[in-house]
Amino acid sequence: MMTKFVSAAVICLGASVVHAEEARQLDAHEHGVGQLNIAIDAQQIAIELHAPGADIVGFEYAAQSSEDRGAVDEAVARLARPLDLFGFPEAAACGVVEARASLEIEGEHAEHEEEAHDHAEHKHDDHDHDHADHAEEAGHSEFHAEYLLTCADPAQATLITFAYFDAFPNARELEVQLITDRGATAAEVTKAAPVLDLRELF
Amino acid sequence: MILRLALGSLMARALTVAMTVLAIALSVALFLGVEKVRTGAKASFADTISGTDLIVGARSGSVQLLLYSVFRIGNATNNLTWESYTDIAARPEIDWIVPISLGDSHRQFRVMGTTVEFFERYKYRSGRALEMADVVVMDDLFDAVIGADVAATLGYTVDDPIVVSHGIASFVEHENQPFRVAGILAKTGTPVDRTVIVSLEAIEAIHVDWQGGGAIPGQVTPADTLRQMTLEPQAITAALIGTQSRLQVFALQRAINNYASEPLLAILPGVALQELWQIVGVAETALVAVSGMVVITALIGMMATIFSSLNERRREMAIFRAMGARPRVILSFLVIEAAVMAAVGAVIGLGLLYLGLLVAQPVVDARFGLWLPIEAPSLREFWVLVGVVAAGAIVSMVPALRAYRMSLADGMMVKI
Repeated sequence: MMTKFVSAAVICLGASVVHAEEARQLDAHEHGVGQLNIAIDAQQIAIELHAPGADIVGFEYAAQSSEDRGAVDEAVARLARPLDLFGFPEAAACGVVEARASLEIEGEHAEHEEEAHDHAEHKHDDHDHDHADHAEEAGHSEFHAEYLLTCADPAQATLITFAYFDAFPNARELEVQLITDRGATAAEVTKAAPVLDLRELF
Repeated sequence: MILRLALGSLMARALTVAMTVLAIALSVALFLGVEKVRTGAKASFADTISGTDLIVGARSGSVQLLLYSVFRIGNATNNLTWESYTDIAARPEIDWIVPISLGDSHRQFRVMGTTVEFFERYKYRSGRALEMADVVVMDDLFDAVIGADVAATLGYTVDDPIVVSHGIASFVEHENQPFRVAGILAKTGTPVDRTVIVSLEAIEAIHVDWQGGGAIPGQVTPADTLRQMTLEPQAITAALIGTQSRLQVFALQRAINNYASEPLLAILPGVALQELWQIVGVAETALVAVSGMVVITALIGMMATIFSSLNERRREMAIFRAMGARPRVILSFLVIEAAVMAAVGAVIGLGLLYLGLLVAQPVVDARFGLWLPIEAPSLREFWVLVGVVAAGAIVSMVPALRAYRMSLADGMMVKI
């Protein structure tokens, strides 16, 4: 009788433990290596960039000094101008429809955000968030950027040159995933060879 | 002038020259053939699955998920719950989603439970759909469609009964619920050839009388009762997904990978195939190296022939010199001869390759599912041919330089 009661109690406890449990997961994070996803559909090109804070601004703690904050703001502003980082041939006549860049500290969201619609001017005024909240965070931070481009002649968009590595000297490598009408493939672009020839990938 | 002389000289020694040219031609054909097989194998491999944007399964590694979901090698670490599956299927990005359920087998072949949509959605070799060699798709609960290799190995025809075994390499059979072969798929060269395809409901149906991994003794639900039941699976092994727009693939992938209720993994099949090929691809390099060696051997053979011919041709060279030809002319004369041999060899080799491809293409496709495209030589192949001619000219420099130095003195002093 006693044992039954005890086991019942254990089951109850077990159940409450299960309820209290939350899902814990963290993305992989490697300094020097960013991820770049490119999807090309007809005239539209969607690009996503995930890069460690260390690659972009050289630190991953929450920016507190005005110098650090300035660096983050500047980086976000640069990331919001995709064609200065990822160059397509002029013949393709690509333009930015939408560009969005932000800094995310593990688990947190939308630290800094920069949006640009239809080449709208980049304003820096709306970045006076309070950064003190995340002072204790010792986790990693990542810059996220999403772009949507349209190209008048997408057939000419065969080559991407990565000025990204010049803009952010700490970045060493981008792991590229590419989807086109010929399927999906992956490639690596490095600082030493900052060019991606889309024709050779298939 | 030199060219004409060189050609004339080659014609005069037609037999020896023909042998040398043949050796070069065969080596070039071999090299290009290996290249064709290599790129063909790579392409066939990459074309195992196409048209599918994402494959979803339990969180493990992308190669492992690809191996068990597409190649039916190895096993899933976990299943994908039906709840998560319906959750994902309801997302707005989804154009189509096809569940697959693995785990049972028939003889040495895996049994896969799926929906009829699989036949429409599974594409291989740049968008080719599965074809039925023998018609009829699954109408009845206990209808099975089998791959070409299954039919060929086990000698099945339509309407033959099939009894599915529980698990893989197991002796427990689902003997109370035999399937009927409803269709046989045409050969594809993909793992589908080695698969028995049944409906997802059928996989549930054959396990209705099972509990805790074994059949409940004496309990047999009649087939007609099973046909009336709503058979919703608890879990599936993986799912193939097509999205509305290519631009949404990455967002959907991230959403699935961050799905909080269940650890899931979504992979881009093309990327995972490429990762897998990087592992398999070492053999590729070895093949190229070996066939490269063969070309080098043939060229060295040519050099040896030129060397030995120099002895016979001392007088010829001496006469040229006596008639006023400079040593440089002798040198270029021999180099041009060699380049012409290498060029003719390369062209004949190319011809042999296409002849071989014409003969072998259908056989190789049918036997190994390896598609070797017959197309104009690629830029790479062109450079290989140019390389062979250039290498031929370069190796001939060795005997030519010897002739250059010896031609006069040597030739004039011939003792017969």
